[in-house]
Amino acid sequence: MTYQKTEVLLKAENVGLSYAGKIILRDVNFTMHNIVRPDVCQGQVVSLIGRSGIGKTQLFKILAGMNKPTTGVVLIGEDMHEVREGEVGVVSQNYILFNHRSIKRNLEIALEHNDKNYTDADKKNIIKDYAEKFNLAEHLDKYPLQLSGGQRQRVSILQQALTSNKFILLDEPFSGLDVLVIDKVVDLLLKVSTLHELNTLIIVSHDIENSLAISDTVFIMANQPNKEGATITEKLDLIEMGMAWNPEIKNDHKFQEMVAHMKYKI
Amino acid sequence: MMLLVFMQIVFVLGVWQWLGGGLIPSPGKIGLRILEIIKSGSFWDNFMMSLILTLKGMFFALIIALAISYLSLVPFFRPLAKFVIKCRYLTLTGLIFLFTLLTSDGSQLKLSLLLFGIVPFFVTSLLSVIDGIDKQEYELCSTLGMHKWRTLWEVIIIGRLDQVFEVMRQNFAIAWMMITMVEGLSMSEGGLGAMLIKSNKYIDLATVFSILVIIFFIGVFFDYLLGALRYSFFPYTKIQLRNK
Repeated sequence: MTYQKTEVLLKAENVGLSYAGKIILRDVNFTMHNIVRPDVCQGQVVSLIGRSGIGKTQLFKILAGMNKPTTGVVLIGEDMHEVREGEVGVVSQNYILFNHRSIKRNLEIALEHNDKNYTDADKKNIIKDYAEKFNLAEHLDKYPLQLSGGQRQRVSILQQALTSNKFILLDEPFSGLDVLVIDKVVDLLLKVSTLHELNTLIIVSHDIENSLAISDTVFIMANQPNKEGATITEKLDLIEMGMAWNPEIKNDHKFQEMVAHMKYKI
Repeated sequence: MMLLVFMQIVFVLGVWQWLGGGLIPSPGKIGLRILEIIKSGSFWDNFMMSLILTLKGMFFALIIALAISYLSLVPFFRPLAKFVIKCRYLTLTGLIFLFTLLTSDGSQLKLSLLLFGIVPFFVTSLLSVIDGIDKQEYELCSTLGMHKWRTLWEVIIIGRLDQVFEVMRQNFAIAWMMITMVEGLSMSEGGLGAMLIKSNKYIDLATVFSILVIIFFIGVFFDYLLGALRYSFFPYTKIQLRNK
């Protein structure tokens, strides 16, 4: 499998967070690179895995620029500037949309805030095209509350993909979904990641199997003995391990062994 | 369900008619008096007077309350909004003298009293709508790259317009109840409230109860009308209610 890791897209440097004297996050360091494959538009899918309550949501908000870390910094972009709120797309666990707007209008709003100045005709065509790709064409005139949870999640992901943000953070994207819907979500996320070379999906989850199956890189978040606050304890390069970009990876014996082993690490 | 309600109403009216004739006039007597009142020309003048005053009061109260509620998002104005909410506990009767001095005629006096009476209720309801907005909606706006004004417009103004309508519907009941009180305080230009006070003065209980029934049904009609308009203007509210 030929690939190359080129420029740094996102970097967390010594990120730490404390609340009322209690350390939540400590010395969080990781780097995300652009992965280039010949003849393939290959985006990045990175997972941050940790057990519930470890501080994933706090790190999620820091990566999105919504919260400032107590120490350290998150850098993004070519010039490696400090992340600002609005530069990273966010798909929350409960798929927040504008309930007073139709699905079509929700997607139009995302395009209105895209860097490119699309004409109305362009917007119409883009939405039509993407709605067909993501099986939402028949729902465009409906309101968000008329859709199922899975459909709302798709709209939410598509909405973020339509902005000019290249980074999309997903908070527990597999939570509360049945097995069949999870497979669809995995397909959808892979589609989004390959829409643009620089598209980077960051999945924050405690669902080890599904997160690993879709990712090229995994960071494990956990507590270390005798140290307060969670940090990144391990990085798994699934490309090097030969476990990335394989739709059938869940059936692989080695993969299942790794998933079982990971449960003890978080 | 409708049949059950209808049967219960018929039963209650039947019992009331059978036991009636004491202090509270019987339904038959009230019904006949309602017809007499409706046929008289003065009723329609009084009714229009009350209705126009209520609608005027609602209109101005909504504008004032919306301004206070939206301004409450700026920390400087938050104490003002909190104070207005507490004004619900002030009594109008004690303020008549002050408002009489401040206004030039009976119509202005009634409007001022009405506004003073209902604005705190409007602000209370509107602030609870604004406070109930999920923080994640603001975060969605920022991830979509919206600036602060667009966020305010999308989440608080347009996004909650249906709830403003609901607040209006709920507070119409308060305004409608208050109008008779205000008209009772300043009887110079008539109105349903003035009619009630006069009938009470002459212990004409059949007329009092007839006016109460008329006021009740007009209130119920407007409640239904505002509810229907809300569903018609904001169809997604029906879905929200169904999902709850």
